[in-house]
Amino acid sequence: MTERFRPGDRVLTSRADPVHHTRLPRYARGAAGTVVELEGRYPLPDDRSRGLPAELQPVYAVRFPAAELFGAGDHQVTLALWESYLRPLSEEVARDE
Amino acid sequence: MSDHGGPAHGLAARVRHVEALLERRGLVDATELDRALAAFLARASPANGARVVARAWLDDGFRARLLADANAALPELGLSMGGGIQEQRLKVVANTETTHNVVVCTLCSCYPIALLGPSPTWYKSESYRSRVVRDPRGVLQEFGCTLSPDIEISVWDATAESRYMVLPRRPAGTLGHSEAELAALVTRNGLIGVADV
Amino acid sequence: MSRINDVGGMEGFPLAGQELNEPPFHADWEAHVFAMNAALIRRGCYNLDEFRDAIERMPPQEYLAASYYERWFHAITALLVDKGVLTAQEVSGD
Repeated sequence: MTERFRPGDRVLTSRADPVHHTRLPRYARGAAGTVVELEGRYPLPDDRSRGLPAELQPVYAVRFPAAELFGAGDHQVTLALWESYLRPLSEEVARDE
Repeated sequence: MSDHGGPAHGLAARVRHVEALLERRGLVDATELDRALAAFLARASPANGARVVARAWLDDGFRARLLADANAALPELGLSMGGGIQEQRLKVVANTETTHNVVVCTLCSCYPIALLGPSPTWYKSESYRSRVVRDPRGVLQEFGCTLSPDIEISVWDATAESRYMVLPRRPAGTLGHSEAELAALVTRNGLIGVADV
Repeated sequence: MSRINDVGGMEGFPLAGQELNEPPFHADWEAHVFAMNAALIRRGCYNLDEFRDAIERMPPQEYLAASYYERWFHAITALLVDKGVLTAQEVSGD
């Protein structure tokens, strides 16, 4: 299994509000961040918590400026996120910002 | 079920009751639980973190190995992140002249317990978990840690399998200190990032 | 739906003070809940993600009113009943 993202990649987190257990906090939904590093490969908790077969999936440390998450703040927040919570931040989206 | 003695008293009885049911079912063994608890508390404590920090302050090679792969470096001090349900990945994050790190688990209370033992109650509180991602400078201030404005704060939210520990900066005026003396300077709050050291 | 445990960035929670020289556990029952959970997970009765899920599904008022290890105990008993290991009646002692 190859990772979709590499350190330095710009990513956008999912906006989904799932009914099941997940490890993407609400404050970090729909946010643009930068991949810091690959942390490892682990089974997706969204599936494992529901007794579904959960294959190993890459987990990345992803860094966000506080202003991106909360509209204010001069600090950074780094979260560890499963690959399925992320998609590439497209050129189009980046240009609109 | 009556609750004389307050909620905690009732809870103790309920826990004993469930433990007894599970024991009759052959799913837990009370003696084994006690043994495992004692073993855990003996091997896991903030003193372990302090030893790691002191060694990193004295030995640049160890520091580099620790920052690159903490799980592989811990056995050099006879320490490990194993012994629990599963060995967890430890990520050590170093404070620098320009960056101060602080750790939280906003979703529950994930913490490197295999190395440091149980987290403090305040770390598990809704107050800390809700506020430190949004206003880390204010939260640190309340802990008595005032950072200069040109130091950027980096908050780590333990949302997956990694457990984070801060490597504080070595305090000034400690040249010539022994490793044990240096370790004695390191507090649990420093390892979490709500103190300088 | 976002659950009550997902508190990052929320306002209004009362400050939690620091307890000096806090012990690892404040009561025997807390330590037993901790150890019981590890034993049951190791046995495969449930997994850690199911455990976290069970805590998160507590009704918000109950979650906020419960202490940390009370939440754990709630999750453990809910899972044991869900999985058919124990019955609700056995757990409540009726």
